[in-house]
Amino acid sequence: MSYPEVIEQSNQVLKALVDAGERVLGYIYPHPPHEIIIAHGLKPSLVRTNPSVVGAYEASLQTFSCSLTRNLFSQRVNNSFPQLAGIVFSGNTCDALQNVGDVWRKRFPKDNVFRLTYPVGDLGASSVDFLAMEIKAFSDELASLYGEEFSESSFREAIMLLDEIRNALQLLYCVRILHPSLISYNTLSSLVGEFLTAPTQEAADRIKMTWNEVLERIENMGQRNKVGQLRDSLLNHDLSDFETVIDTSGPRIAVIGGMIEPNTVAGLLENVHGISDTTLVLDMLSFGFKTVFTPPVGIEDDPYEESARSILGAHSEPTQEGLPKRITFLKDVLTRLSIHGLIVCEQSFCDPDEFESPSLERAAKEVGVPTVKLPLDSELSDRARIEGRIQTFLETIDDN
Amino acid sequence: MNDEKPYRKLETQALLQQIAFRHGMEAMAASEEGTLAWVSSGFPVEIPVAMNVFPTYPEQAGAIIGATKIGPEVCGFAEDLGYSQELCSYARASIGSTDRPDDVAMGALPKPQALLGCNNICGTILKWYDANSEQTGAPVFLLDTPPLEAEQKPHHRAYVKQGLERLIEFLAKTFNTTLEEDRFREVSDLSSRAIKLWTQSLKACQNKPSPLNCADRFLTMAPVVSSRGVEHCTEFYEVLLAEVEDRVKQGIGAIREEKIRLLWDNIPPWFILRFFNQLAAQGVVFPADTYTHAWSGAVEGTDTDSLLDGIADIYSNVYLNKNLDAKVDKMCQLIKDFDLDGFVMFSVRSCKRYSLGQLVSKEIVTERTGVPGVVIEGDMVDSRLFNEAQIQTRVDALLEMFV
Ligand code: SF4
Ligand code: SF4
Repeated sequence: MSYPEVIEQSNQVLKALVDAGERVLGYIYPHPPHEIIIAHGLKPSLVRTNPSVVGAYEASLQTFSCSLTRNLFSQRVNNSFPQLAGIVFSGNTCDALQNVGDVWRKRFPKDNVFRLTYPVGDLGASSVDFLAMEIKAFSDELASLYGEEFSESSFREAIMLLDEIRNALQLLYCVRILHPSLISYNTLSSLVGEFLTAPTQEAADRIKMTWNEVLERIENMGQRNKVGQLRDSLLNHDLSDFETVIDTSGPRIAVIGGMIEPNTVAGLLENVHGISDTTLVLDMLSFGFKTVFTPPVGIEDDPYEESARSILGAHSEPTQEGLPKRITFLKDVLTRLSIHGLIVCEQSFCDPDEFESPSLERAAKEVGVPTVKLPLDSELSDRARIEGRIQTFLETIDDN
Repeated sequence: MNDEKPYRKLETQALLQQIAFRHGMEAMAASEEGTLAWVSSGFPVEIPVAMNVFPTYPEQAGAIIGATKIGPEVCGFAEDLGYSQELCSYARASIGSTDRPDDVAMGALPKPQALLGCNNICGTILKWYDANSEQTGAPVFLLDTPPLEAEQKPHHRAYVKQGLERLIEFLAKTFNTTLEEDRFREVSDLSSRAIKLWTQSLKACQNKPSPLNCADRFLTMAPVVSSRGVEHCTEFYEVLLAEVEDRVKQGIGAIREEKIRLLWDNIPPWFILRFFNQLAAQGVVFPADTYTHAWSGAVEGTDTDSLLDGIADIYSNVYLNKNLDAKVDKMCQLIKDFDLDGFVMFSVRSCKRYSLGQLVSKEIVTERTGVPGVVIEGDMVDSRLFNEAQIQTRVDALLEMFV
């Protein structure tokens, strides 16, 4: 599915939800408290960039605002967003989102703009406490604005739903890594896309159905346990005990960086000549892998604390403390999962991406994995050149 | 000769050079002794200073690199390592000069043993120090001060305070040192005194003519950034205030003929501070700016615990850690208090935290104060991103409104 088709489909899903009387709450940063939002009777939905919308931001934002925020702003100016009941901006994640959230409030005073502030510091229990308080305040705001109090039973149902979705997607991710011929990257990325559009029961059913189909083949191959082991290792951010992958039937490529979703990557690879369906085995992106590999929300403690613990248990973002840990993990991924090449995506004018990419490239080089850096913008304005770079990169890897 | 210039040079500037020289020598010695930390400008430096860790400031080094006009070259060293030209030029200058110190005449810092960053100025600082850490092997300590939407909430303050306690542990472990309450109080007092003296000098610019212009303040703010908490810093601000008060008493302005009083918003273009002097020739003075007014809070407290509370409050409440409303309020207040005729907003491509929002705040500030403003775009260190002719045209258009 091409990326414009993804947006079209996503918009249709959202429209159907709105027509059915559902309220959709958009989010930008990939780690919203999904379960809490659902417990207030809302549907969390990733606010996507739209490559066909250009340049309507200039009266409010300078050109050096990151391409993602510029694109979202332009969509809002052009009224081309799906109908949202509100939008959640993260606080303390990157300077662009911090400031653009404020600008948004000024320019669109009728929009319900929420701010959820995250801890950057890796302070263990203090970070959890801080985020729990922020989520509680956010939850109170949702209750007062939409008149729907936090519902314990909806919260529990949401936990189950999100568990089903994440669990199946995590396993599918692992199958893709271990046996890429069993599930295409396109299929995986559109399932992740469905989750990001709206974590509904229908989306969960489709994701589970795909997993059940794949499961049969995995079991026939006697690989069920291995898939489970890999899932656990990825959830624990530690591959040191994981036995190295041996499927080396073709070049195995991983993608990292960029506040983009797997669908965008899938769309970019579509037109690259000579790429085989098994080439791209893993994306480690903000929207996708990191959102999917979020540990489940517990039910023992206070819901806000459990939610905070779950969010902070996900793989960390470049906006957070912990570069050395991320580098160690990346090196493990590259070596243990037999990756032959790494594509490093950089959103234009995205400080977190652009600061981290040289470190990622150096780390890959240290373990002998070649890299290519792809500067991206939300409009994919340089598409032909990007595809050309991927193609040349793949040819170099093939030659080795 | 000096008399013919449209601006008056401060006597205190000579002392400034001595302080800068002394700071550089002390930083070098500290590096050799293993007690040097690179520190971000909004870091609560009272704690490392009280623990005998010597702080030095990569941002200030970036300003020097800018002022000596080697910004593009040094930033280019970082770009050669893969860092995008779209990134903050202070960070690029720092990464570049750390990579090739021998190729940087002024502005390369001695090797640190720790990197202390506080994100109350921006999120960039963490990423920048992560890069420096890979280059130097020095560990990074991040003090996380989540931005404020309005008043600081109790859980924000508690979280920042826990960060401060973690900082004390980090310094104790890294430098084998302890925090003694008496010393902490003494350093905090010195820091507060320096900030109070500095604030008085700033306030004196409400007078007409203004005793200080933008460039004077940008230069004389250096010690309060780099050495607050040490004796000679306080002494410097005593001397500065005396000179400022003397100018006020005698009715001497920073520029010879003050006609138009403007507010400056954002970091200055260090490589072209003459920009302000050229405007001085047209009778334009900048009695206030948002950049130097960022240093207004004094740390108060009677014991370690209350001092930490004070720090958690003051260092979270800095200008750049607040929302757009607070920034607009501050600008409107400065325009009123300093009786300003208009404002110039420098949209600094390096600094998203400072600059994104200016297009909107310009409209609001004009609406609320009735004075006109202009937005000009460029950079503070990387002169490749500064189009002087275009900027001059825009500023001229603003000035025409006052004739
Ligand atoms: S793309 Fe980068 S700068 Fe933009 S919102 Fe995402 S993290 Fe922030
Ligand atoms: S110039 Fe801006 S982005 Fe750069 S370090 Fe200073 S506050 Fe941060």
